[in-house]
Amino acid sequence: MAVQSRGLRDKYCIVGVGETEYSRASGRTTRAMAVEAIRKAILDAGLTAADVDGMLDYQGGDSTLANSVASDLGIRFNFYMDVMGGGSSTEALVGLAMGAIEAGMCNTVAIYRSMNGYSEFRIGGTGARAAQPVRGLDLAQVPYGMRSAGQNFAPTFMRHMYEYGTTSAQVAHVRVAHSKHASQNPKALMKQRVTVQDVLASRWVVKPLHLLDCCLETDNATCIIVTSAERARDLKNRPIHIMGVAGRVSKPRLDFHWAHGPISRVAGYYAKDIIFPQAGIGPEDVDVTGSYDAFTFTTMLQLEEYGFCKKGEGGAYVSSGIIELGGKRPNNTSGSHLCEGYTHGMSMVIENVRQLRGTVDDYCPRAAEGVHTYDYSPGHCRQVKDAEITMNLGWAMPATGSALIMRRG
Amino acid sequence: MPQPVQYRGMALIVPDNDSEWKEFYEHARAHRLVVRKCKACGLMRYPPTHACPWCMELGWAWQEVSGRGTIYSYEIVAHAIQPGFREMTPYAVVLVELDEQRGQPTPDEALRVIANLVTPDFTPEAEANVAIGHRVRVVFQDLADHMALPQFTLTEEPASGRVWRMPE
Repeated sequence: MAVQSRGLRDKYCIVGVGETEYSRASGRTTRAMAVEAIRKAILDAGLTAADVDGMLDYQGGDSTLANSVASDLGIRFNFYMDVMGGGSSTEALVGLAMGAIEAGMCNTVAIYRSMNGYSEFRIGGTGARAAQPVRGLDLAQVPYGMRSAGQNFAPTFMRHMYEYGTTSAQVAHVRVAHSKHASQNPKALMKQRVTVQDVLASRWVVKPLHLLDCCLETDNATCIIVTSAERARDLKNRPIHIMGVAGRVSKPRLDFHWAHGPISRVAGYYAKDIIFPQAGIGPEDVDVTGSYDAFTFTTMLQLEEYGFCKKGEGGAYVSSGIIELGGKRPNNTSGSHLCEGYTHGMSMVIENVRQLRGTVDDYCPRAAEGVHTYDYSPGHCRQVKDAEITMNLGWAMPATGSALIMRRG
Repeated sequence: MPQPVQYRGMALIVPDNDSEWKEFYEHARAHRLVVRKCKACGLMRYPPTHACPWCMELGWAWQEVSGRGTIYSYEIVAHAIQPGFREMTPYAVVLVELDEQRGQPTPDEALRVIANLVTPDFTPEAEANVAIGHRVRVVFQDLADHMALPQFTLTEEPASGRVWRMPE
């Protein structure tokens, strides 16, 4: 069913972003981390706690709720909700924040995600989650040793290789590109550049995924602040306008998406028809992409599904140099989940906000003032020159995804 | 409520009020693979759901299927996440497309089932024998008096369509 645009393009902005350190041993609670990230985002926006009257967060039974962090910071709510969800929730919650403000429920919404994704509740299914009993829909897969995200997605990736001839070496270029980007990012957990050969030589996790095809489980908290374009005009940063958003769009048979093929198709197939008409642009107008890299394959699959190349040509697209800094349309310029640290998608939106502001936190001495060298050799710059439009492609699983298009004001 | 079934370090729970799985596993324990068949449009679906995803009819009946099918996709787990699977690596998880209702009601739809590809004694099939296109049949791994897991094993039948496995 077609979704009708509501004419909200450019009426809402992201005005503040913040995050904690990325680590594998935070040594503190998700509440403590969330407070730090939200406080940084409020200060980044030039707001006070009294200006933030809405909050949204997402989690999977692994994090703190909005009531405690708001009390820590002295925030009183006109609106808040704690939402169940993982990857692709970021973009969806940006849309929900716009909706809450548009409905007159509140003025400014802080969206956060906080997780000890390595030291406590490991995303891969080990740690505190490993002891959970298997019941309900999980019985269709988990008793067969199919529990982690990689195990859940691998047959989709394999079928894409079968149908289109996509190779391990092609998708390894996603890791290569993101490691290049991470080498320009002081925050990144893995700053070392890698080669295609390094990826192919790393040990198998679940075929067709090598270790270096997989992202990094990480402890961190992240925050994004959404308000109206009207309010954004008076704040300290260049406002970043939201052109379009699609949230948690799904394929049919979400109980068992294998039932409804082609299984090499992902949710972007449906989401693209919502978001591009909203934004009034097409893929060719996008300067920087943020295609969710839980795995190298997820980046590739979404780029082709949203039309950055033809269906089936994702392998050629990601191995062409286009997605690297210095290429035509760099993807995940922070190094993102594969190299910077895993944030369930928040960091990819934060990075694109900074790209559009012209102030990515790279090694350029005057980066905070927006002065960059555009020297993409290791340990220097990761700012894309004159980035005007970015697009985030959020991934939950093959059958669910979100998207967000932003432009600089 | 029946005791949880312990299998490879997991507690599998099928309570008496499990209106999706309880009878499915009773049939499996009798070595019958069943799916739900809509009383209105006649289409079958898996896993068990409460209304027909095509016509929203609530009425359904269990329908036994042949348990024969073709490997549609697969993965080879080299690094087990669940500790109980470590001794089993490398093991194959296969997505099997059953012979019944292939390409129905639309060309990309089918009855597909996740399981392990095993030898008749339920050890993992050798990786070199795992490929898209290979023919398989269901076998039942008895876990308790009230529960058996459907698994799949290779057959001697000629492959269906192009045979493909991931290049080395």
